[in-house]
Amino acid sequence: MHRLFRWSSKWWPGLIPLLAFWVIAAWTNTAPVEADLSARSTAALKDAVLDKTAIAVAGRDVNLAADAFSEAGRHGAVASVEAVAGVRLVNDETRLVPEAKPFVWSAERDVVRVALGGNAPLPASKGKLTDAAHTALGGVEVVDQMNLARGAPPRFEDAALLLIDQIGKLKEGKIAISDTKVTLSGMARDLGGREAIAAALKNLPAGFSVATNEVKAPPYVFQAYKDPVALTLTLSGYVPDSAVHATIGQAAARKFFSEKVVDNLKTSVGAPSGFAAAVVPALGALSRLSTGTLVVSDREVKLSGDALYEAAAAQIRSGLGKDFPQGFQFKADISVKPAAAPVDPSVCQQLFSDLLGKGKISFESGRATIDPDSAGLLDRLVEIALRCPTSNIEVAGHTDSDGEDAANQALSEKRAQAVVDYLVKAGLPATRFTAVGYGSTQPVAGNDSEEGKAQNRRIEFLVR
Amino acid sequence: MAYLVTFHWGWLLASVLLGLAMGWIAVVHRGQGVSKAAARWLSVLVAALVAAALARVVPARAGYWLDLGLIMFGCYLAGCAVGSWLRAWALARSKPAP
Repeated sequence: MHRLFRWSSKWWPGLIPLLAFWVIAAWTNTAPVEADLSARSTAALKDAVLDKTAIAVAGRDVNLAADAFSEAGRHGAVASVEAVAGVRLVNDETRLVPEAKPFVWSAERDVVRVALGGNAPLPASKGKLTDAAHTALGGVEVVDQMNLARGAPPRFEDAALLLIDQIGKLKEGKIAISDTKVTLSGMARDLGGREAIAAALKNLPAGFSVATNEVKAPPYVFQAYKDPVALTLTLSGYVPDSAVHATIGQAAARKFFSEKVVDNLKTSVGAPSGFAAAVVPALGALSRLSTGTLVVSDREVKLSGDALYEAAAAQIRSGLGKDFPQGFQFKADISVKPAAAPVDPSVCQQLFSDLLGKGKISFESGRATIDPDSAGLLDRLVEIALRCPTSNIEVAGHTDSDGEDAANQALSEKRAQAVVDYLVKAGLPATRFTAVGYGSTQPVAGNDSEEGKAQNRRIEFLVR
Repeated sequence: MAYLVTFHWGWLLASVLLGLAMGWIAVVHRGQGVSKAAARWLSVLVAALVAAALARVVPARAGYWLDLGLIMFGCYLAGCAVGSWLRAWALARSKPAP
């Protein structure tokens, strides 16, 4: 041992080359050591849930900067870097992601893109929501503007995924979550989109609720066009269901006795309430026009066209709005068709007979009140009467043989008088018309069948 | 430690060989050795450096270089000790005791 001390006093000259070795080793190895430790620290954090991870290695010391989503995640990240072989010290510069209060998330859609904004609880959920948006929206560009934050309500991700599905049903608009309150606004892509979204919102996870739903639907449009040349009535647009479809089809067939009904209607949800109750009287008004267009758009009814005479135009303008259910608005743009040239009384008679051969004036059963469905026919009769202003006209009422003769006689007189009243109200001089009742004395068909009786119940116009 | 050894084994081997050579020479070297006082001061200096390394008070790259230097120095000393002992043993064999 003593000898070792003696020898060791002479070991110092080797320190000079050793110093050189040390300098060269330090010079050449520092960068590789740092690169190696950096790579292995990064690998150690591969499964850690962190955001904005930045690893900087100086010598064997690691600076770890990252946003963690919980205290445990933060400590776990530091511990896994400390466990990397060769790491001497870890400078912990991690911090917790800020807590959002309230926790807000939104998806906003305009024509060409969808922007996801607000907060997401984890990087994974951010990716999941963006992917879901890509899937739900097909080719639409998805812009991820979400920040990460703590404080998401439970089952936030399920709620957001459900809402991303709904944004696909909007043409433009915004869906947002603030803590557990959901707000929606914008315009649905299709008719019925609003209802589909409202239905889907019932599946929101427990705890979430809809604060406001201001999604609007595109206008619910129903159109009818009366073409006097082709003698057609074209129905297009939407009806809420097949029952209303049938009601409207039957009403059109009754009111438009000489036109062929072309039915291009489609069924869709989203109709305003009272839709049928507005469309049926509006069709009645259209039937009184020579040519015209009816457009029902949501709760707005627009009727434009030519009435057959001045009084009819005034009646339509003032009278129709009263028939509509609450909330409907009526806009009329009615002009009057130029009067047709006067004709001989014999031509007049011919026109009356032709017209009454095509359609019949109908009344409420057993009473002398004219059915509103006959307004179109009566207006055409008025138009003809205006063309022979000099001739006097007998309006003759007939009934079938059911019931007592006296009652039938009275009824036929009253019905003929009701028609004359209508003509007078239309602006024709009362002196030109005589109302005559014939009861069941002049049948045109046998009273032994329902069909025959229906033919016998009639009003005739006779030019005297 | 294990990481430093595996990563720098070439340099440590060089240090050991340098030590072996220096130790081999030192036994028969006739030059001036380090005085006892200087040796004591050097020991204190090395002890202080080792303490600093163990306490990890030297930051970043300087800390890494200190660790590397001390390990190389340790290897050198070990090489010296083995080299000197081998030389002494070889001398004792070639010169049988009178």
